[in-house]
Amino acid sequence: MKPAPTLSSVFLQPAGDALPQPLLALRKQRGTALVDMPLPTRKTENWKYSSKHLKLTDELAATLPTGSATTSAAAEGYRVVLRNGVVDSAASNLPEAQGLSVQRFADLPDADAASLAERLDNTLDSKATQMARLNTARFEDGVLITLKPDTVLREPLFIVHEVTATASGSAFPRLYVEAGRHSQMTLVEEYVSSGTEPAMVDAVTEFMLADGARITSIRLNVEGQNVQHIGATGIRQQRDSRFESHCVGFGGPLRRHDLQLRFEGEGAECKLNGVVVTQGKQHYDNHTSIEHTVPNCNSEETYRNIAADESHAVFNGRIHIHQDAQKSNADMSNKNLLLSTGAEIDTKPELEIYADDVKCAHGATIGQLDKTSLFYLVSRGISRRDANVLLTMAFINELVAQIPVAQVRDSANERLNQFFDETFKGA
Amino acid sequence: MLSIKNLHASVEGKEILKGIDLEIKAGEVHAIMGPNGSGKSTLSQVLAGNEAFEVTKGEVTLSGGNLLDLETEERAREGVFLAFQYPVEIPGVSNLQFLRTAVNAMRVHRGEEEMNAAEFMKLAKEVSKQVDLDPAFLKRGVNEGFSGGEKKRNEILQALLLQPKLAILDETDSGLDIDALKVVSDGVNALRSEDRAILMVTHYQRLLNHIVPDYVHVLAGGRIIKSGGRELALELEERGYGWLGIKDDAAAAAN
Repeated sequence: MKPAPTLSSVFLQPAGDALPQPLLALRKQRGTALVDMPLPTRKTENWKYSSKHLKLTDELAATLPTGSATTSAAAEGYRVVLRNGVVDSAASNLPEAQGLSVQRFADLPDADAASLAERLDNTLDSKATQMARLNTARFEDGVLITLKPDTVLREPLFIVHEVTATASGSAFPRLYVEAGRHSQMTLVEEYVSSGTEPAMVDAVTEFMLADGARITSIRLNVEGQNVQHIGATGIRQQRDSRFESHCVGFGGPLRRHDLQLRFEGEGAECKLNGVVVTQGKQHYDNHTSIEHTVPNCNSEETYRNIAADESHAVFNGRIHIHQDAQKSNADMSNKNLLLSTGAEIDTKPELEIYADDVKCAHGATIGQLDKTSLFYLVSRGISRRDANVLLTMAFINELVAQIPVAQVRDSANERLNQFFDETFKGA
Repeated sequence: MLSIKNLHASVEGKEILKGIDLEIKAGEVHAIMGPNGSGKSTLSQVLAGNEAFEVTKGEVTLSGGNLLDLETEERAREGVFLAFQYPVEIPGVSNLQFLRTAVNAMRVHRGEEEMNAAEFMKLAKEVSKQVDLDPAFLKRGVNEGFSGGEKKRNEILQALLLQPKLAILDETDSGLDIDALKVVSDGVNALRSEDRAILMVTHYQRLLNHIVPDYVHVLAGGRIIKSGGRELALELEERGYGWLGIKDDAAAAAN
């Protein structure tokens, strides 16, 4: 038997050192810890379906250079552009807002950097998200977003994660969001790419919600077919806070997203929506984990996958209700639509319930477009293409319609239309 | 307008239609009656182009053109409309979006401009009133959570919007109370016109009190075994199917 492959040491060499000392120290420490890290294989349970799509060839080891701006600053709204993981101030636009602070990791005073270094990765389970945590061994910059207590941001803050794959290499974008008591914000993360060389994005975003904080997070992944993406989002919620997320993902050679959420104060709630569409030979793997560690919290999770052609979508939803977490309410639904006989979808609910007075509902289905519905639509003169689109959209409409920022909803719909055009072109 | 000659059709290898001959001229209303399992619904589905049924023999023409060569959606655009016995619920697709997509597909086929959302909304609201359907139903999912009567009215609403050449009504009266039956019948009567043919498939004579047919046919065992005028339906009501030599599996047929 071959020895299990390990992470090549070339992947543990950051490019620059334009970071405050405490963050450089953290990075180094993480790098050391990852030496000889075994790479996931088919036998690694939480990478079972995705390990073969992870191709860490040495050419991806280099950090992609920051380069010059390809996008110009938006005229209005809050927007931060991270190009290959490094903030591009010229392309960013941050009107002053009372109570909001957006800082580059590179610009942090040592004391703040030391405090941040203590907290980075604290939202993520180190074993489950090991690949994503390569990020902490490699990041070159990052964005620290802090909302002071009672700060209410009316306009969404856009974070554009752009990868410029004009050469092959990787990018390690990093965000840390700290929402003070009763603060409110909508954060949009868009993962985009340019260039056609093989690239990898290893992205980590963390949210800390203090008592009563309300965060809406929107995550749109439309990276190119040359980009492998490994991402993790970690969330910790204190008392009465609310976290709402809308993840919309389009497939690629590898798309992996781990979302790990932990309730640490009573009365907190979360609503997690996810839409994934894949086509061709694409692959998308969503792993979510919700930890109810205290009583009286509500989690609601709704994920939909659509797989066409020979693509493959994976959903793994874990809910862990700890012994003390009485009166927990957890609701998880995952529905899947196969658009061709060659497509594959794997779904796995993972419930661990140790409290006895809880409500926990889960449901997972895999189906195909209903022939009777299709006949009904075409019998009214509607083309096969449009009928297929109507029925496929019907499957995810509800979730897309809930995306609370019109601009993101529109770009999601635009990309969905492209997907339908390609998927139903023969219809 | 519609000409059916020696039509044979099967489903999953089982022959259901065993040689149907039927001629319907523009302006005429024909009723097809028959006991359960006689092939009434199969005939409707075959004419509309349901691929679950295989036509094994015979021909069907609409205004001289070969209907069987056309895809379902092409038949619809040529003017075939089937009001379903069991209208399909499609959650997630709004009724309004469905209707507008259908109407615009027809308009594009005829070389007309598509209707924009506002124009269409106005039209749809008017027609909704005609079938006594609250315009609120336009915003719901297609037939989603509609009662039986509401579904049937939604079918007639579609017929009125699409203005077909040939309207096939498959058991449009079943499951309706008397008030809903009146509304639906009024809708169908509004469809009657010199350049349109209507084929009604029904189990019950009752509908024919409201929509008076020009011809009545009795379908049994996959064949039309008797044709006549309006009086044939009345006779069936009185005597059942037994006198025609059919196993009267449905005493209800004459109810």
